[in-house]
Amino acid sequence: MYDYNNLYIQTYDMSQKGLAEAYIPMQRYVSSYPPEQGLKRGTIFPELDKPYMEEKVRGY
Amino acid sequence: MWVYEKKLEYPANVCKPDVKMAKFLIAQYGGPDGELAAALRYQTQRYTMPTGQAKGTLTDISTEEFAHLEIIATMVFKLLKGVPVEELKREGLGEQYTEHDRALFYSDTTGMLWTAAYIQAKGDVIADLHEDMAAEEKARATYEHLINLTDDPCVKDTLRFLREREIVHFQRFGETLDLVQEHLRSKKIF
Repeated sequence: MYDYNNLYIQTYDMSQKGLAEAYIPMQRYVSSYPPEQGLKRGTIFPELDKPYMEEKVRGY
Repeated sequence: MWVYEKKLEYPANVCKPDVKMAKFLIAQYGGPDGELAAALRYQTQRYTMPTGQAKGTLTDISTEEFAHLEIIATMVFKLLKGVPVEELKREGLGEQYTEHDRALFYSDTTGMLWTAAYIQAKGDVIADLHEDMAAEEKARATYEHLINLTDDPCVKDTLRFLREREIVHFQRFGETLDLVQEHLRSKKIF
């Protein structure tokens, strides 16, 4: 489980960000899947790989 | 200028024809949050982007959306292959058949034709990038609905790939927004 708040502080200098400004954390290279798996998953970056759990599986 | 590769970005397999699913999938062909809208939106917005990075990102993602359009088209075509007209009529594609036979056409799942009114190019990079990020999320949501609507494991597999690409694109637009905000700030200081 990610601690999203911590992740945020570790990676970003909040003083640069003003109110009424949306932003997405800049991705930094961590690791990558082998090419074959990357194609299969739709991304070579494990931290961007966010598979969908369908309604039938999650039950609502 | 583009270089065309005579292959799909990802396989568009279907296990068996399915008229209903073909009808639903059209949403991602000519619907408001579909691939055509995405490709054309980014394609036209890129000219007024203030940085090379932003222009490049919009060009790249637009290009990939055209590749996705091709994947959707292939799936719809395969889902309708060899289906007799009686079945098309029974499953709700009689109207589509009247005008287009089994040809692909840019409409949403109810037959509403694609229109440029679905997209915007505001000439304001902040407004445009927010629209682009929203577009990726809307397309992701549509893919999730489509995944829930089919039992075909081949179709599901391709839809999962396309959905994941929306997530990656959202991230890239978000990073672009950050870089552009930085760029605009530096222009105010110097």
